[in-house]
Amino acid sequence: MSYAIGIDIGGTFTDFLLVDEATGAQVAHKSSSTPSDPSTAVLTGLREIALGLGLAPEDFAAQLRLVVHGTTVATNAVLTGRGARTGLLTTAGVRDILEMRRGVRSREHLYDNKHTAPRPLVRRALRIPVDERVTVDGAVLREVTDEDARDAVKELIDRDVEALAICFMHSYAEPRNEERVLRAARDLGGDRFVSASHEVLPQIRLYERVSTTVMNAYVGPVVQRYIHRLTERLAADGFAGALLIMQSNGGVATADVVERLPASTVLSGPAGGPVAALRAARARGSEDCVLVEMGGTSFDASLVKDGQVQVTRNGEINGQSISLPMTEIHTIGAGGGSIAWVDSGNLLQVGPQSAGADPGPAAYGLGGSEPTVTDANVVLGYIDPDYFLGGRMTLRRDLAEQAIAERIAEPLGISVTEAAAGILEVVNLKMAAGTKDITVRRGFDPREFPLVVGGGAGPLHAAAIARELGIGEIIVPRRSAVLCASGMLQADLRHDYARSFARLWAPAEGPRAAAAARELIAEGDRVLAAEGVCPEDREAVVSLDLRYVGQHHEVTVEIPMAALEGAADGVDEVAEAFHRRHRQLYGYSREQAAIEALTVRATAIGRRAGALAPVPDDLPSEPGGASKGERSAWVGASGGWQDVPVFEGGLLAPGERLAGPALVETATTCIWVPEDFALTTEPSGDFVINPNNGKAGVA
Amino acid sequence: MSSQAAAPDTTRADPVRRAVIANRMRAIGRRMGVVIERSAHSPLLVEGRDFSLSIYDHEGRLLEQTEYIPILGYATAPAVRKIAEAFAGRVNEGDIMLHNDPYSGGNQASDWKVAKPVFHEGEHVAWVVVNAHQSDVGGAVPGSYNPNATDLWQEALRIPPVKVYDRGELRDDTWNLIMSNVRLPVVADDIHAMIGACNVGEQELRQLLDRYGASVWKATMEEVLDATEALARSFIARIPDGSYSAQVDVFDDAFDERARMPIKLQVVIDGDHMKFDFTGTHPQTPGYVNAPMPVTLSAVLIAFFMLVEGDIPHNDAIMRCIEVSVPEGTMLNPRFPAATGFGNHLSDQICAVVMAALAEALPDRVTAGWNPLLCAIVNGRDQRGADYVDILINACKGGGGGTAGADGYSHIGLIASGGAIAAQDPEMFEAMNPFLVRKFEYRQDSAGPGEWRGGLGVETELEVLSDGMQASIFGDGVVPGSEAKGLLGGGDGELNHAELRYPDGRVHVLRGKELVSGIPRGAVYRQVAGGGGGYGDPRKRSPERVREEVEDGFISIDVARERYGVQL
Repeated sequence: MSYAIGIDIGGTFTDFLLVDEATGAQVAHKSSSTPSDPSTAVLTGLREIALGLGLAPEDFAAQLRLVVHGTTVATNAVLTGRGARTGLLTTAGVRDILEMRRGVRSREHLYDNKHTAPRPLVRRALRIPVDERVTVDGAVLREVTDEDARDAVKELIDRDVEALAICFMHSYAEPRNEERVLRAARDLGGDRFVSASHEVLPQIRLYERVSTTVMNAYVGPVVQRYIHRLTERLAADGFAGALLIMQSNGGVATADVVERLPASTVLSGPAGGPVAALRAARARGSEDCVLVEMGGTSFDASLVKDGQVQVTRNGEINGQSISLPMTEIHTIGAGGGSIAWVDSGNLLQVGPQSAGADPGPAAYGLGGSEPTVTDANVVLGYIDPDYFLGGRMTLRRDLAEQAIAERIAEPLGISVTEAAAGILEVVNLKMAAGTKDITVRRGFDPREFPLVVGGGAGPLHAAAIARELGIGEIIVPRRSAVLCASGMLQADLRHDYARSFARLWAPAEGPRAAAAARELIAEGDRVLAAEGVCPEDREAVVSLDLRYVGQHHEVTVEIPMAALEGAADGVDEVAEAFHRRHRQLYGYSREQAAIEALTVRATAIGRRAGALAPVPDDLPSEPGGASKGERSAWVGASGGWQDVPVFEGGLLAPGERLAGPALVETATTCIWVPEDFALTTEPSGDFVINPNNGKAGVA
Repeated sequence: MSSQAAAPDTTRADPVRRAVIANRMRAIGRRMGVVIERSAHSPLLVEGRDFSLSIYDHEGRLLEQTEYIPILGYATAPAVRKIAEAFAGRVNEGDIMLHNDPYSGGNQASDWKVAKPVFHEGEHVAWVVVNAHQSDVGGAVPGSYNPNATDLWQEALRIPPVKVYDRGELRDDTWNLIMSNVRLPVVADDIHAMIGACNVGEQELRQLLDRYGASVWKATMEEVLDATEALARSFIARIPDGSYSAQVDVFDDAFDERARMPIKLQVVIDGDHMKFDFTGTHPQTPGYVNAPMPVTLSAVLIAFFMLVEGDIPHNDAIMRCIEVSVPEGTMLNPRFPAATGFGNHLSDQICAVVMAALAEALPDRVTAGWNPLLCAIVNGRDQRGADYVDILINACKGGGGGTAGADGYSHIGLIASGGAIAAQDPEMFEAMNPFLVRKFEYRQDSAGPGEWRGGLGVETELEVLSDGMQASIFGDGVVPGSEAKGLLGGGDGELNHAELRYPDGRVHVLRGKELVSGIPRGAVYRQVAGGGGGYGDPRKRSPERVREEVEDGFISIDVARERYGVQL
């Protein structure tokens, strides 16, 4: 027997998706997150799963061949300002670049004079100037002596830093000075985390490089400690398999690789979602989709267009710039744990404060007295208090009602039912607006995209969001509650490399660029080999950052290696590809103008196809066996309270169609099908929800 | 409220469609902006973001505007109307028009407009327009900031509305005439990017028109305009009725360093209507310190948008409830053919006078003074032998003014930029220009003290790496009395200062408006961009915060003690 498992730590729950590698059978599981030490939830969940399989924990651990893990420790460190105390060694004269953020207040709110900057990750008193200088041509104008290097490092160590970041002017062109200080930092720093910019992001633009390097140092000790603790605890339980970590770029990597570049995990958890969403959309014949995920504390929306997960190199976490490739995700503070409240103007508000996992919603009975979105779902009958998380947790409907009555219904002078329905209306509008941000505001019409829904709480709200946006098709993947965990099991290994090139482009440069690309690919090969990927599963994508001479920004153009090598023979496919892409992006191209190539990039991919069987083998073949009775639920103002049929999702057969109102429950989630929608079970086991009889969602 | 909670509401079709169309119009503006930002050549556009994108109806009525910096917010509309008038009945699919003339609707001769008509099923329904600052537009001085100019022709080539493309064909005679009268090839590069942006905007707007049809689109635009008007009126109605006055002075008219020219303003709030009357403002000056009307219009609206809580769309409907009146022959509405090259930069003082006038009516919304712009535009030939022109953006970005609940933003630059102008990345700056950045840091004690202090200014030292540089200094804030003013007990920001240190040891302190030639290699340009004014009594500031800022070196121990009353 051998198992693979995806584990995604969220703010409220830690999600698991276990796959039996022999049969393809899957088990989805959720445990409450343990923010003070996230590895506790991992261990607890694994033991719970073992128990469910009837295995002793050590036998189960021994049969685990692979753990793929998404962690929020880096994200949380940046969001809460609780990363390592970090110092920065940087070129004298420009030590404020990190904090200045190029003097841009906000490009979204040009007129908002109340807008203030987030604090920098390294305050000025910990930014030490080093008297050194390299010119733009890579010439060393002022050399750093070993003594200078040691003095500067000591000065920071005396200020009690846990992590050191080093970033000098033009070090991407000539890293000598930076290397010298890096050596001193490693010599003197003991076990302090050290991060140098020529290793993290060897490319021109000081602000992006210093900010990314600092973030890497800032989250480094936190991520390292977490991975070490997790590895030790897994080993103590008898785990001897492989551990892979989800990265922000939508690919996975081994723990060793991640420890060297911990900033690559700042969006580790959510990055699994779009990978899984694309697969679900493809099964319905679409290469595009909008993915929305509603968890306990946040709502994430992301976009897949033309089969590509949208990746950005201009990322930002809490106002801190990071230029490593990361999945583009728009997050708002709305989740099952979002607290409902009445403001001073007697207006009902929901969030952004969240009750989190502890004390959690009032219905948890853990002492929470604030009404949450989950409480509203319990009160209106959408969540069965006795079947929450498949019955592993019993909810207290009376406490949910009490919280809503005291905090919302009484102050507003309305009934508890009206108050609960109002909470859902407000949170649904917020989530719809968040979804709009990534579609309409980019000029895409959401109605043209299927809506893929993830997260434990998402399927209860999906129809309302779709109705608000006029979306005609909702896909709830069979494993929607653990979508990111499922995406992690499907994701390839992925490593991105870049090298400064900075030359005028001519076909004769092809071989030189190809040589640089080959070195980057070789580096990727070494890493992939160490990660156990065999050569036939490896793939490399090469691209060049190109621009017309005199432009300030580059266009990244994917170039086949053959075209690069063939460029020497006078066939300039590189230039042609660039002109074409430039025309597509900017409406014009200039065939006569000189081109320069600034950076050579390679992405090394280790294919893990087959990691997750696309069709679970446990689908029932006969329809009609899923009914599990009725439950009183609020169908809306027109329908009032009704006895609504309830179905066991796992027992719905492919092709089976249910008209709303209906509730479909699984052990990890619950789908609300309003009266104007209908649900169909797909051959893949995914559920598709459409407006019924064209009554809603039609433009 | 909850009675509608779960009920399907079929009446929502229209609001949703309106939201989609309005947002898509906005997305088109942004999409056009990306073309300029990512593909233009001049750092003025790429980093300085000195451009705006807009969509007008066929008559030149502003429907949607994406300004990358606020000063261009309402500065384009008068020119588009002139373009529409000039070619009435002669607009063809594939045409592209160009314009810059300050005396036919232009805001500054350096800000060129490229406009492309958009057709739907053979009907001309709209214009997509880019307004962008050019690195050189002819005249006597490279970069076209000529402090010695006494008329328009000494500043720039004058371009009334012309067609550069006719039915998709480049009119190379016109093109060559224009490009022969500017010094730098980068201007043609940037015009290509502006045309590219118009092409992209045209494509996307046509998709929108194809989808909804012209009549639905037009009707929706009217709805959007009406909703904007209602929003603006509801804000104005909340300002207490009355008449509010203020005066802010402009210093140095480029001929007389001691000249002091007042801008006078009376704001009258009457219900949901607002009038800005600049009667009493100084007469037009002999030099280039004069602003064409669109500058005042734009600057007034910058301050207005800053005073409004929340977002309000930027279109023609705003002007239905805001009236701006400037007597002809004054510095803010000069008569032909006065020079106007400095005009855009009077927006600092125009914004300041609006804030000062409304401080009594809207004390929680106004800000203390912002650092007035002092800037150097430099030109020469770099080490590789190529001509260059650049604005030293990093050096000129001082601090913003404090406001109730927030410190002024540090290193933000002039108020008319709204904090959108990016300082050039120091590495990219050295890659594009013959300079070595020796120093570029926050400046201690530059900020005006206050409960909410001003933003910090910066100190910059740039070593010149090639011989024969010319620098045109333009700006204000160097003469005592011209610094960013504190408000409600807050202190003033530091003054601006700029100097040239020659290799032979000579130091030349620069005026606010001055042209210096023959600057040799090895010289150092040093500038202090002052901080913003403080808001409220500095002794009310959290002592903990003051202590922290002393540790970080932003405030000196002396200032902490004397101004903030914090002993260390």
